[in-house]
Amino acid sequence: MITDKDNSHNDITRLLDDEPVGKTVQVVRVMGDGAFRQRLLEMGFVRGAKVTVLKNAPLQDPVEYMIMGSHISLRHSEAAQVEVTDKDAEFCDMEDAFNGIVETSVAGVDPMADNVLRVVLIGNPNCGKTSLFNNVTGAKEKVGNYGGVTVDSKEGWFSIDGRKVQLVDLPGTYSLTEYSPEEMYVRTNIRDNHPDAILNIVDAGNLERNLYLTTQIMDMNIPMVVALNMWDELEKSGDHLDIEMMSRLLGARMVPLTAYNGHGVKEVLQATMSAIDESEQDTMHHNVNYGPLIEDCLKELGAMCPTLDRYTVLKIIENDQHAIELINSQDNAEQVKATAAEMRQRIERDFNDDITSIITDLKYGFVRGALAEALTPNPERATGDTKPGYSLDHLLTNRWLALPILLVLMWLMFEATFTLGAYPQEWIETGVEWIGNWIGQVMPDGILKDLIVDGIIGGVGGVLVFLPQILILFFCISLLEDSGYMARAAFIVDRIMHRVGLHGKSFIPYLIGFGCGVPAIMATRTLENRRDRLVTILTVPFMSCSARLPAYLLLVAAFFTAKQGLILMSIYLVGILVAALTAILLSKTILKHDKTQFVMELPPYRRPTTRNAAIHMWSKGKQYLQKMGTIILAASIIVWALGYFPRHEGQTPQQQIENSFMGQMGKAIEPIVEPLGFNWQMGVSVLTGAAAKEIVVSTMGVLYTGESDATEESTSLKEKLQSATKPNGEHVFDPIVAYSFMLFILLYFPCIAALAAIKREAGWKWVAFEVIYTTGVAWLVSFLFYQIARML
Amino acid sequence: MTTTAIIETIVVLGIVAIALVYVLRRVIKTTRGHGDCGCGCGKNCKSKHKPGKEYQTKE
Repeated sequence: MITDKDNSHNDITRLLDDEPVGKTVQVVRVMGDGAFRQRLLEMGFVRGAKVTVLKNAPLQDPVEYMIMGSHISLRHSEAAQVEVTDKDAEFCDMEDAFNGIVETSVAGVDPMADNVLRVVLIGNPNCGKTSLFNNVTGAKEKVGNYGGVTVDSKEGWFSIDGRKVQLVDLPGTYSLTEYSPEEMYVRTNIRDNHPDAILNIVDAGNLERNLYLTTQIMDMNIPMVVALNMWDELEKSGDHLDIEMMSRLLGARMVPLTAYNGHGVKEVLQATMSAIDESEQDTMHHNVNYGPLIEDCLKELGAMCPTLDRYTVLKIIENDQHAIELINSQDNAEQVKATAAEMRQRIERDFNDDITSIITDLKYGFVRGALAEALTPNPERATGDTKPGYSLDHLLTNRWLALPILLVLMWLMFEATFTLGAYPQEWIETGVEWIGNWIGQVMPDGILKDLIVDGIIGGVGGVLVFLPQILILFFCISLLEDSGYMARAAFIVDRIMHRVGLHGKSFIPYLIGFGCGVPAIMATRTLENRRDRLVTILTVPFMSCSARLPAYLLLVAAFFTAKQGLILMSIYLVGILVAALTAILLSKTILKHDKTQFVMELPPYRRPTTRNAAIHMWSKGKQYLQKMGTIILAASIIVWALGYFPRHEGQTPQQQIENSFMGQMGKAIEPIVEPLGFNWQMGVSVLTGAAAKEIVVSTMGVLYTGESDATEESTSLKEKLQSATKPNGEHVFDPIVAYSFMLFILLYFPCIAALAAIKREAGWKWVAFEVIYTTGVAWLVSFLFYQIARML
Repeated sequence: MTTTAIIETIVVLGIVAIALVYVLRRVIKTTRGHGDCGCGCGKNCKSKHKPGKEYQTKE
């Protein structure tokens, strides 16, 4: 570990945290140890790199920096770990570290030896891997303009020139070290699956940072093609890249690509196939030349481990434990470890630095040297100027305007959901009512008619009418995600996340949680620390998922005549507030831990494409319809049956449902829910919602349809709720009861699928905790709200 | 009870039984971590992308 006590530059260096906004400085070194230090080095905080302090977040923490053309957000405490000096200080020139390349002969292989041609997509987060994957395979995987969208590998197929190829989309990673789960995942995937070629996607507008990963892949001696994605942005910026020269230096084909519109896809695939074909013969691979001392060490240690590639041998010298594990089965394992340790000491002594920084510096030195040869920057752009795509930041992350803009955008999204969704909702509602009435007229009275009209149409129809709102909400979310605004939202609220003891990376699972809790819980895998993961897993269900939306839409539309968008937004804000309070509670009690550091990249703003937003919207709409045809339909039938049987002759529909199985069940739990202002039908609805949250609405649809007079024309569920009365003639619902009910639906235990995901990620103990805790919180919040509101 | 009413009752009870079996199977599969992953696609997302599905390039 490097600390400020071990400081040989005290007279000329300062801490990055002390630098004022607008100042450009030069990195001397990164202090600390472990994953955070490694991540900073990988992201370009290497000796001699220029950093510009761009701005403080509206809440003064974190701070936005520009390094190697990328915009990075660092908290003050993290910036205090970076030692810097004046930008013009003659301290170090990274191009000095450019030693060119060395060539390694690699024997030819038969790519069809395992009967399948396999190509893996590797690249930095948010460089467009999934866009290319979707374009090539026809898949519709989720993409977004922020890193960390892909957390698992996705596999698809494509055919080219009559040959079938498997394409694997791996999570984005800045490097192939051993510090984070996604890095290890990518490393293990490459080692275990032996790809025939690697398709390395790099952001053409940010080559310096992106090619660092390329230098690691080069050492693996696997055929590689480099796709220069977002080529259109590079051209627009006025920079010029000599692709041929760069290809010669890297020893790999480089192909321009614009993945979002498909330009260059065919050429990229053809280049990949050519690289695979060439690998059948003995070929010479290019590797970074680390200088005489390290190259001699690599040769010596490589001879002792003939089965390992250059990348793994280098990792052994770097003391990478996962690489060392690979030699444990060798007879000379102890000798290899001792030799590697001795080499490491020799290198560190010679370079007067630690091995991680030395290798990272040398790799970045190679990248800088190569770019100095091949890239001609736009002469009109001065050093320190931000690249195109960040101009909106003047407004959207402005100190005074950022938070109001965030709130207004959220309000607009919910208001649009209501106002625009109301028209198609009315059409669907009319259609559902018409079908119900028509069936009611043509079918003879009997049990089958009751099932179809009250059970199926009442239940499924009650949920179906909210499809337009679901589509509009996801269209808006997709626009915000694709534009790059979501990363800014994280930047704006990061201080609050930090205060409540949450990891910055928790933002992504929370964001996904507004769609569905299951992938959100899975997305916590990107968090390194188990305690961080647990806090995030246990608080994600408070982010109101889209399945709860129909219940809010129904109740808000029925009982709030004005400011409907604000009411809906307030429910989401209560969820966020409870998640924050829970995170504080957990991180100060049973999951106490030190706050973990986090570096976040702020991507450039991009114009969202209608196609992508439409795909996202349609995929959500399809899922909603599929759920309606399966689980919601089945649950509606069961709820209807429980409310229909046993039959008692001569009873009114009201008495019949009260004496049914469902009625008896509801009456049993009524004392628990009564203090919250709920009747037994509402109590039963939240219970059945355990299977899927939409079933809360379908259950109410079935239970309240059963209460209506059979001879009466069918009316919408909204109207039925508005006119529902207690035995004493009072209305069941009013705005206070409706809001209390919405609070309960927001906070009580998540659906079975989400609980199963928690079980997979954390175990049964935490499932039990989650069920008890969330339901307890839901009851308490609804109780306090209802009782206080009644008193006022 | 008429014959039609008896047939209707049998059909309805059959539908209810199928719905019940479907929900129970789905709940069991979900809690075991196989079947539906719960994201709404109706399947286990992982198996959805397993090799065997063939796509063609647009070219």
